[in-house]
Amino acid sequence: MQHAVELEELGVQITEASRFIEKAREQLSQRIIGQHEVIGRIFIAMLVNGHILLEGVPGLAKTLIIKTFAAALNLKFQRIQFTPDMLPADLVGTMIYNPKDMEFYPRKGPVFANVILADEINRSPAKVQSALLEAMQERQVTIGSQTFPLQEPFMVLATQNPIEHEGTYILPEAQVDRFMMKVIVDYPSYEEELDIMLQSATTCSELPVMPVVEWDEISKARALIERIYVDPRVQRYIVDLVVASRNPAQYGMVELEAMIEYGASPRASIFLLLAAKAHAFLQHRAYITPEDVKAIAYDTLRHRIRPGYEAEADNIKPDDIIRQILQHVQVP
Amino acid sequence: MNARSEWYRSGFLKQFLALLLLVFPMVASPSLSAKEEGEHPEITVNVQPDSVLVGDRIRCMVTVYHLEREVAAIEGLNRSDTLSEHSFELISRKHSSSLLPSGPGNEVFELEYAVFGNGRQLLPPFMLVLRDVEGRITKKVAYTPSASVFVQALTDSSMRDLRPIKPPLKASIPFLLMLIVIFGVSGAAGLVLLLLFLLKRTVRNSAEDVDSGHVAQRKLRKLGSSLSAGMPPHECYEELSNIMRTFLENHYRISALEAVTQEIERDLKKLGVAGFESIMNLLKQADLVKFADSRPDVEESRQSLNKASEVIRFTRASKVER
Repeated sequence: MQHAVELEELGVQITEASRFIEKAREQLSQRIIGQHEVIGRIFIAMLVNGHILLEGVPGLAKTLIIKTFAAALNLKFQRIQFTPDMLPADLVGTMIYNPKDMEFYPRKGPVFANVILADEINRSPAKVQSALLEAMQERQVTIGSQTFPLQEPFMVLATQNPIEHEGTYILPEAQVDRFMMKVIVDYPSYEEELDIMLQSATTCSELPVMPVVEWDEISKARALIERIYVDPRVQRYIVDLVVASRNPAQYGMVELEAMIEYGASPRASIFLLLAAKAHAFLQHRAYITPEDVKAIAYDTLRHRIRPGYEAEADNIKPDDIIRQILQHVQVP
Repeated sequence: MNARSEWYRSGFLKQFLALLLLVFPMVASPSLSAKEEGEHPEITVNVQPDSVLVGDRIRCMVTVYHLEREVAAIEGLNRSDTLSEHSFELISRKHSSSLLPSGPGNEVFELEYAVFGNGRQLLPPFMLVLRDVEGRITKKVAYTPSASVFVQALTDSSMRDLRPIKPPLKASIPFLLMLIVIFGVSGAAGLVLLLLFLLKRTVRNSAEDVDSGHVAQRKLRKLGSSLSAGMPPHECYEELSNIMRTFLENHYRISALEAVTQEIERDLKKLGVAGFESIMNLLKQADLVKFADSRPDVEESRQSLNKASEVIRFTRASKVER
């Protein structure tokens, strides 16, 4: 009973602490029409210190969403366009020689920001991708002999185009695994498209975005998310979903066995739990339900499950596999 | 010197040496010579049939009578150094032995030969070897059977017509019988499968006939009894959630067991289910107990059970009315 009261109190605190999300959403909605799910996922990643890989065709306002998000949350934003001739130093920085005092000084690269938009990350070779992914993992950068910690919050939103693969360097599975979520940015609905057209087809300057969130608020939210209750049943449900992606036959999905080349890694369980916690926070709840897990399962698992040859031949995508897993694994 | 030369020339020495060479093996090893009838070992050879076509097989029975505590063996059957042996190809051999009541032993060697050649053919010679109990050779007898076989060639100059070709051997199980057995087994298997199919359909139909609401009510009554017997209320809610989900799955054909409460809510809303609010309240209450560590008391649990029972009764009644 004591625990239930504590959770109730925590719920009240969460409702109070999550108000900044509403304020930020309001600012975003002034410039972004639709794409509510993508915005929701960016908030989730920001709340639990994760990174996102955005996949969508050009012109779906990916850059605008991230830029507006950073502005509304009063965070330093940097856009890095990845190109084939890029070098790691262009990203992390380099040592510059000063002839006046005959010494080398570090010049920090664009990675020193709060929100990084790594645009078309697959256009650069592996060494540049690795430099960024190392910064994502370690949250620090070494230039010359000096190591510099990256500012908090540090969030990378990388984009890649799903239709053009010529002259690209596909991200290796080990690196893709470091992204908490892979979010598919889809076309807007008919009504949304109409609104976008009317709002954007103007020569007037864009509406300014007001910074409405302070770092303290994000920090407080992160501390509350840590306290969100996860029942052992839900913990087991998360592990069941991840294990089912590796051994589907164990969960009565024999037909999926040949469809999966390899399943989700243990990082998937960790990120599923974290993302579910953040999802519960956005729902003003002090506990996780299987609904939270199901809600973020597609985005957290789709880049961690590799379909086999048979699945590719039958045009079965990772989302189809995840759907089957969610339909077969019993909810607690 | 001259006398000695004369002696040589007369050929006497040559004759003497030849006689010595002839007699010596008989003295040194009497067992190497053929034994006369009535002496041990006594050998008899029978052949059947005595007239065959070329390539046919004959059965040759060699019976050896010898002294007690001796073992006989036939050797030299596989040699092909004589012309006659080319006409006989050993196919198989069997050996049996018995002790006669009078004392000496009796051993039978059954030899099967394939016969070739043309005209009368003498059986091939063999070597009979007798050993004592310690395996030492006590006697060796080279034996040439007097029995013979007449071999008829498939074609010869005296032929006027082709000899009839032998009919193929008949199968031990007649073809018709085999056919009957195959059809019988297939028919029986088909009948069993048909029976299984009918049984499965009957079972399924009877399962469909079972009223899911009735089952749920019975489970709720049982749960109420368990609660009275001291079952913790939070466990009662977990079971209550399962009962409700199973009932909804069977009653409305929705996958409630693999769905979260939100998904069930969406499905029931689509179906326009009677008592929707009450069902959702119960499920959400159970979710609070399951996932938010809420600890209701016994009285609250009992009220929830009664409410669930009422909802199920109401839902069933509304479906019957429709």
